[in-house]
Amino acid sequence: MTVLKTSMRNFLAHKGRMALSAVAVLLSVAFVCGTLVFTDTMGTTFDKLFAATASDVTVSSKDADDGGETTAGNGKPPVIPAAVVDQVRGAQGVKSAEGTVFSTSVTVVDGDKDNLSPTSGGPTIVGSWNANDARTMEITDGAAPEGADQIMVDADTADKHDLALGDEIGVISALGTHTAKISGIADFTVTNPGAAIFFLDTATAQRTLVGESGVYTNVNVTAAAGVSDDQLKRNVLTALGTDYKVQTAKESADANKESVGDFMDVLKYAMLGFAGIAFLVGIFLIINTFSMLVAQRTREIGLMRAIGSSRKQVNRSVLIEALLLGLVGSVLGVGAGIGLAVGLMKLMGAIGMELSTSDLTVAWTTPALGLLLGVVVTVLAAYLPARRAGKISPMAALRDAGTPADAKAGRIRGLTGLVLTGAGGYTLYLAGSADKATEGSLWLGLGVVLSLIGFVVVGPVLASGVVRVLGAVLLRAFGPVGRMAERNALRNPRRTGATGAALMIGLALVACLSVVGSSMVASATEELDKVVGTDFIVQDDNGMDLTPEAVAAIRATEGLDRVTEYKWTQADFTTPDGKTSDDTAITATDPTYAVDMRMETVEGKLADAFRPDSMSVHEDYAKDHGITLGSTVDVAFEGGRTGTLTVRAVTSSEGVIDAGAMYTSIDTLARYVPADKMPLTMMVLASAKDGQKDAAYAALKQSMDRFPQFEVRDQTDYKEALKDQIGQLLNMIYGLLALAIVVAILGVVNTLALSVVERTREIGLMRAIGLSRRQLRRMIRMESVVIALFGALLGLGLGLGWGATAQQLLALEGLKVLDIPWPTIAGVFVGSAFVGLFAALVPAFRAGRMNVLNAIATE
Amino acid sequence: MTSAVTIPRHGGTGGTTAVAARARQVVKAYGSGETRVVALDHVDVDIARGQFTAIMGPSGSGKSTLMHCLAGLDTVTSGQIYLDDTEITGLKDKKLTRLRRDRIGFIFQAFNLLPTLNALENITLPMDIAGRKPDKAWLDRVVETVGLAERLKHRPTQLSGGQQQRVAVARALAARPEIIFGDEPTGNLDSRAGAEVLGFLRRSVDELGQTIVMVTHDPVAASYADRVLYLADGRIVDEMHQPTAEQVLDRMKDFDARGRTS
Repeated sequence: MTVLKTSMRNFLAHKGRMALSAVAVLLSVAFVCGTLVFTDTMGTTFDKLFAATASDVTVSSKDADDGGETTAGNGKPPVIPAAVVDQVRGAQGVKSAEGTVFSTSVTVVDGDKDNLSPTSGGPTIVGSWNANDARTMEITDGAAPEGADQIMVDADTADKHDLALGDEIGVISALGTHTAKISGIADFTVTNPGAAIFFLDTATAQRTLVGESGVYTNVNVTAAAGVSDDQLKRNVLTALGTDYKVQTAKESADANKESVGDFMDVLKYAMLGFAGIAFLVGIFLIINTFSMLVAQRTREIGLMRAIGSSRKQVNRSVLIEALLLGLVGSVLGVGAGIGLAVGLMKLMGAIGMELSTSDLTVAWTTPALGLLLGVVVTVLAAYLPARRAGKISPMAALRDAGTPADAKAGRIRGLTGLVLTGAGGYTLYLAGSADKATEGSLWLGLGVVLSLIGFVVVGPVLASGVVRVLGAVLLRAFGPVGRMAERNALRNPRRTGATGAALMIGLALVACLSVVGSSMVASATEELDKVVGTDFIVQDDNGMDLTPEAVAAIRATEGLDRVTEYKWTQADFTTPDGKTSDDTAITATDPTYAVDMRMETVEGKLADAFRPDSMSVHEDYAKDHGITLGSTVDVAFEGGRTGTLTVRAVTSSEGVIDAGAMYTSIDTLARYVPADKMPLTMMVLASAKDGQKDAAYAALKQSMDRFPQFEVRDQTDYKEALKDQIGQLLNMIYGLLALAIVVAILGVVNTLALSVVERTREIGLMRAIGLSRRQLRRMIRMESVVIALFGALLGLGLGLGWGATAQQLLALEGLKVLDIPWPTIAGVFVGSAFVGLFAALVPAFRAGRMNVLNAIATE
Repeated sequence: MTSAVTIPRHGGTGGTTAVAARARQVVKAYGSGETRVVALDHVDVDIARGQFTAIMGPSGSGKSTLMHCLAGLDTVTSGQIYLDDTEITGLKDKKLTRLRRDRIGFIFQAFNLLPTLNALENITLPMDIAGRKPDKAWLDRVVETVGLAERLKHRPTQLSGGQQQRVAVARALAARPEIIFGDEPTGNLDSRAGAEVLGFLRRSVDELGQTIVMVTHDPVAASYADRVLYLADGRIVDEMHQPTAEQVLDRMKDFDARGRTS
């Protein structure tokens, strides 16, 4: 009981000193809880949406995806004949059945040809307006579409793009562009997270999306009273046979959920990963806080021991303080987490993904997990300092509190750290020289962990060396103040080491990723220069196909020398070794592709693969299936017949562009696949006539103006886009790593603040003998900068090592060029110095304000 | 015997006045109204240049407060304090700091030295902070006087308590301040080490012409001084020249007795 009481009192007495550690726990817990609440809320929103929009039973084509997506290679949704509706109506227990048509393989533009598709990655859906839609949507303005020239739009999209009744809308599908005027605006009664939805009347939808009347993509079936969905499904199946896909509302919702679930899981685990890093960094902060509190309380603890407290009691009292800290931090963290989730939802709103706070979902597991994590991590982190406290001898009460020198422990620590770092380095070396990516990545992971732990352990030992060097380079200029700053930083290497290590972790990841990212750009650029022989590339950045209309527009453009279409489909390959590989990707292009892309071959020439009934395979596939030049492969094209193609080229497995692709010509594909099943063109490569490059580029852009979804790029722009894309990804990751870095900065602030308290008398003495406030503040700032730079040096060193190793390893996958982004690295280093200055602001200010007399007063 | 051989000065500051520091009607009070506590009650005092002055008095008499005020460490409620001809009351922190740095030396009871600096660095610290080069010959002489030549590279933790205080004395002397203030400089030392330190202070007055003010409650320590001031209830109540330990002790007993009867 007394133990608890002393812990409580100590905790409250030092609440200021605990504050920063509590904030570290708070931030980490908040991030975990925020992530969970956010993803759960997203889940709830989608669940409600899917549950609300699905009809009791849905009938669709066997070729349709379970989730109701309608993508097919030819850009048209798979359909079922209209007669099915009547068949379904005849089934038992059916109250009503209606045929609908919808497609997601569409782009919708406004009168200015601006793309109305969601920027959040949500789908664009164009469909017929039906009774089933009317269940979840309410027409708030105008009326439902009637006739070919009318279209209705959902209210969110209308809001976002300032659309009003009468505005012109263009629906671009594989069949062409259909224009209509807005006749009505409909609002969802549930939250629509981000799809843009447009409605046509049924006949217009059929004509625009499928190109024929009398067909539907789905039949929405409603059950009569007292008939369960499962029963209804059985009845419908009895009536229809097994030629169609029949799903209950729950099955459709589950299938839909699964498709968004994957995305949400990636988001969730990525964010939890970053929260984990923040926790790791927070551990250092907590260890430091408790170490310093124990050191400051050495005499007090000695007294407790002298008057009869057992080691265990002392130990426990420190751990109870940690428990309290963990509890306070976590409880606040759970609250902050919910706030963070709301903030994230608002942020998503800003980029076009609508989430409603009324759907805010806090599962009981979320606070439970947050609390558990926060408390367990805090107590674990405090364990080492607590053990040290338990070891304090009763004699400490009688001695002047001084920092006990433990040179031996330092040596053991140094040795352990070196061994770990060495092992990590060797493992990284193994990773770099591995032959197989899978084996190498294992080594890489192990090497990263080992070298990280090694650096953390050896950190305090390194601190003395590194700080001296930094001091010699940076601080000497500041005379005695600089010298004292250096000495102060060196005073407790363990503290400096731990503080620096916290910063090291975040910066190591930044450095590593920046190396990988910039190597990716450099490698891709080099590869592009080597391989690409075309001038322009036209494609949709969201991976949609080019419509035939758009391809025709490209072909009609003036000044182009050659235009190469690039299509993609699947086929079952039966190879000479007798094996069949199902659903293998095969690329069909115009023969000019061989000029546009100088793909390396190990046998034959790529151009020959585009001769009639010919193909190319890639090196690995050839090896695995005993294929050589002249071998024949039976190719059963999806939606078409089987052809026997002769292998006339084997492409090299080096190279990253279109890695692993196997080619045939579009003409060959057309022999085996009927015209209406031909896949659309994914990408068009175009080259200008000699000397007309600029004019052709402008003309091409001009002719693609009608199709805002397709990007036209020349080689320079393409490389730029690639760089931007990688840059954006990196920026997002840096943003998430910022959390870990913020916690590390808190750690620096914490260390300095506690050091200042610890050195109160020293500061008083220096002030008494004439150190000005400015000099004092400068001294603390410089100490902070040195600690931050120490962390930065370690982190950057470690990160460069990891990054270079990762590049070596990924060289197997085509990441051949190691490019170290020195400006970024230098920026991080200089930035760290500023971080140090920033972290010292408050501690330095407080030290300056310290009362000289109080500071020097003998107790 | 009391006059110095030569009185070293720096930069021509100060004049030839015989008074190094003056307090005029100094009042130091804490709190206000009923809880007002007066630590110094209209104190007038002159500290003679080149003399060793001891300030004595029972706990709570205001002796430390007087020293802190004289040294520019603490502010006064009213009255003036002059260091040589400079009025230090009312100076801003920046000027006070510089004044302490350039013109005053300090020796505290404990924790006089920075643990991160070695003995020599501690000694030259005030000059380092000021960005001045120490006068090599003078420094050697000071180090010689306090007998630390062998231990200049030692860190404070490697020195005994007496040695640490001697380093503090050397630091106070090294910058040639106009005046040195000691706050019970021998309070934490055994009698032998204490005698050593006091001996150095005495010699620095006699041989180096230093002005020293020391707060103490130890009659033996006070007997090293040229003059002893007695403080009680914030007022200077008595004064003694060329004291011996016995005289000081007797006077103290006297005060104690009076304090009990009053």
